[in-house]
Amino acid sequence: MFRKVKRRTDGRRNFDEIQSGHEHYRLVGSKGFKDDLSIYPHRLSFYKIPPFEEITLEDFETWAIDRLKVVLEIESCLSRGKSFKDMEAIMKPVLAKLLPMNLPNRESSSLYLERKKDHYSHFILRLAFCRSEELRSRFIRAEAMLFRLRFNMMSLQEQKEFVSSIDLPWEAVTDEEKQEFQSQLIACSYNAVRSILTQTVEFQWSKKVTDEQIRAFVNAEKFYKIPFEFVPELVSTRQSFLYKGKAFVAQFQQLSLIVTEFSKHLGEQLNVTMRALPTLDEDDRLIPVLNNLSRGYASMDYQSEFGAGESNDGSVTAESVPSLMKHMPLCMNHLMKGVMTEHHLKYSGRQQLSLFLKGIGLNAEEAMRFWQMQFTAGPGSMSIERFNKDYKYTFRHNYGLEGGRINYKPWDCRTILSKPKPSKSEFHGCPYRDMHRDQLANELHKMGLDSGSRMDDVLDLSDRGEYQTACTKVFELTHKDRIDAMLKNGETVDETSIIHPNLYYSRSVYLEGK
Amino acid sequence: MPNLENSSPGETEMTPEPSSQPNHELSSPVADVSLKNYKPSTADMVYYYEHFLPFKSIFLWLNHSQATQTDFTMREFAFEYKSGAYQRYNSFHSVSEFKQTVIKAQPTRFEVGAVYPVEPRMRKSVSKVLMKPQAKEFVLDIDLTDYDDVRTCCSGTGICPKCWRFITLAVKIVHRALREDFGFEHMIWVFSGRRGVHCWVSDYRARILDETRRRAIVEYLDVLNVKSKKTLSLKKPYHPHVERAFDVLRDEFVDLILKVQDPWSIPERAESMARSLPDYKLASTLIKHWKEEPDRSSADKWRDVDTFYQQLKIRSFDLQDWKKETIFATMYPRLDVEVSRQMNHLLKSPFCIHPGTGNVCVPFDPSEKEFDPFVDTANLGSLVGSNETDWQKTELKNSIDLFNKFVNGLVNEEMRQKRNREDEKENLEF
Repeated sequence: MFRKVKRRTDGRRNFDEIQSGHEHYRLVGSKGFKDDLSIYPHRLSFYKIPPFEEITLEDFETWAIDRLKVVLEIESCLSRGKSFKDMEAIMKPVLAKLLPMNLPNRESSSLYLERKKDHYSHFILRLAFCRSEELRSRFIRAEAMLFRLRFNMMSLQEQKEFVSSIDLPWEAVTDEEKQEFQSQLIACSYNAVRSILTQTVEFQWSKKVTDEQIRAFVNAEKFYKIPFEFVPELVSTRQSFLYKGKAFVAQFQQLSLIVTEFSKHLGEQLNVTMRALPTLDEDDRLIPVLNNLSRGYASMDYQSEFGAGESNDGSVTAESVPSLMKHMPLCMNHLMKGVMTEHHLKYSGRQQLSLFLKGIGLNAEEAMRFWQMQFTAGPGSMSIERFNKDYKYTFRHNYGLEGGRINYKPWDCRTILSKPKPSKSEFHGCPYRDMHRDQLANELHKMGLDSGSRMDDVLDLSDRGEYQTACTKVFELTHKDRIDAMLKNGETVDETSIIHPNLYYSRSVYLEGK
Repeated sequence: MPNLENSSPGETEMTPEPSSQPNHELSSPVADVSLKNYKPSTADMVYYYEHFLPFKSIFLWLNHSQATQTDFTMREFAFEYKSGAYQRYNSFHSVSEFKQTVIKAQPTRFEVGAVYPVEPRMRKSVSKVLMKPQAKEFVLDIDLTDYDDVRTCCSGTGICPKCWRFITLAVKIVHRALREDFGFEHMIWVFSGRRGVHCWVSDYRARILDETRRRAIVEYLDVLNVKSKKTLSLKKPYHPHVERAFDVLRDEFVDLILKVQDPWSIPERAESMARSLPDYKLASTLIKHWKEEPDRSSADKWRDVDTFYQQLKIRSFDLQDWKKETIFATMYPRLDVEVSRQMNHLLKSPFCIHPGTGNVCVPFDPSEKEFDPFVDTANLGSLVGSNETDWQKTELKNSIDLFNKFVNGLVNEEMRQKRNREDEKENLEF
């Protein structure tokens, strides 16, 4: 596959001998063997065997880019909180174009080629995305989703064949057992089944899921028993009924189990790849390709020009900041309210809010006035002397005016989420993660969300840990009128996920200007 | 759910249960409910190690076989010394070496760690990558200090029969879950000597669990989410384990919380209880009311919640759900997640002496009898005072017999399983 392999033909020959138990390795390595589907028996793969054949540099690049496009599209769907169904609809044409997997009724040589492309492109992207923890976890997420999408595109027969080709100790739950544990099974899968049912056509009509529907679903569902060690995530979240060491797993959870195995395997392999990466350095043609691949990925992040002198047109002043709260995401709103009532913020809160304000164009001078005003006004607040002595420095530091003179960037959601959670008297963090459900509902209500199913959607997203999507959803709901108006006028609206508080702000300001 | 607020007034105040067992002369009278405080001397410790500590039983328990194998020889032991020094990575070739080393080193106590792929004492001769723990009992640690926000009788290191009931409840709930849900069979519970208990699960399946799976088990058990200190929010419908735990807790709530502990008679605690109500109006009305009438007991205040919920016609949340959650928040087992999760974590061995109290860390089996630290434990002070050298004739007898019975069951099961595993292997080779 790589040039270094070519240079070391001797080495490979040795390898082939070691692996001589596997007939096809040797065959693939030699010439004239092009369309044996026995290497790729299914349309789906755990990618356990690395590629051995040589490919051209051009194939290397185009295949990788095609798969990258698929991965990016999945990422974007995920961050927009598209339902699995929507995602299937969006991804089907994309996959057909970039990574086709035709039904196994075609001529085997063409099937072989498309499966080979899938196989090789997967391994090339492993090389590009093994370098950092963040890239790895995003790659695993996207690949796992691709796996899931493809699994669902297969026929029941194919699914069955694939599942039985994976060696897992399933055991079917008998009807008697199902009868005996009926109430437990319903209790454990209630919420999961509920969310499945909300995606049905019926739900679009009735807008509700009844207990009877859930009961009927569970009764019709096939269950399997598997040692609990295989489903740690179902155990830790108490989503599975446990009995004498076995976890009861519904058919619809079975896929999640296989996907977990897939992700686990991919995670391990990416670590192995990372450790092996330095030995690739000898091929000077691959490095730039790989670098570009992973950079193209990173550039999907929100890019904004934050700097002491760049967005300071003087329009944001110490006095005008409170009036801009309507454009701020909930996290910043919460911090603003915190500083205005407490006349103080603890360290993390100061950092989070002051860098955000810097990002919206509050310059250093106005920032000092703003913070001094907030910290020293009101009953029980500190004196100006104390502010100057204890706090001024840190705010100036954030603007790169003190110490190491680093021009700090506003925190993105990832950074905010990576900080320690706020304790009782702190206001930083992500409200969708840190607030109690009821408090969050209360705050959302104040932002104008009525306490109906929409509010519940947001709350459920937060419960599930999809904080950015929850925030994006809130943005969409609170700006619905303007977005709809723009779409009506045929204007395009950026509907990608909110990944940065300042993105929320600038979009809100932009929409208001329309 | 029964009316929790209607506690029958006829019920008597909970008093420490008099021991049902005949008290042998060595233990102090039961009327003195405080635990003995005996600070053992070095000579006491040597005497104890020489005559009483059942090294052979400990060896069998960790070795899983009569013949010495790597389960024991590659096992890490750590010594804690009087000076406070802590010495890790000890390992022994045999039970006699184990005993002789302990007697010679005179540690105040020793802890049991994981099995490594090499003898821990040889760790410097191999690369660090190799020193990954391979196996260890799955352990749980429950400590009364974690209950300081609900108990009113004691705090910190103190315990009394009133608050020990929290531990008894925790043991009951966790033991059942380990047995019925996870299918573990070889669990031994050990009194930690002062204010808590440890549980060791010795099933082969439990010993080879990795950290992800250990974490999954504690998270399953840790309904309160102790680590993240997040407000408890139980998802409805409740998981069978949660439901089962609730049945146990509900029966105790009126007596243990409302009567015996009475935590909400303390204004600050009552206030934070009120604040856990998801309705601001209700919470503030209650707080105001309790400020005006400061002498109300926990039972009164628990009733007040009901009264005002009705009076204010609150619709924003279901009071019964909140009550359930509050019962969980006050009484559900509080687990030390890290101890269970980490494979290389060490835990004090059974039959060690607690250096602060002189109590022997005796094992017990909750499925046979609830453990009472004021009756069922042995103390080094009385052991030394007895001038006895035969454990059979001391208060240790029951504990050692119980432990031996447990270990025998474990070893027999282990031999059987091992044969099966080897048979399987042979079948594969064909």
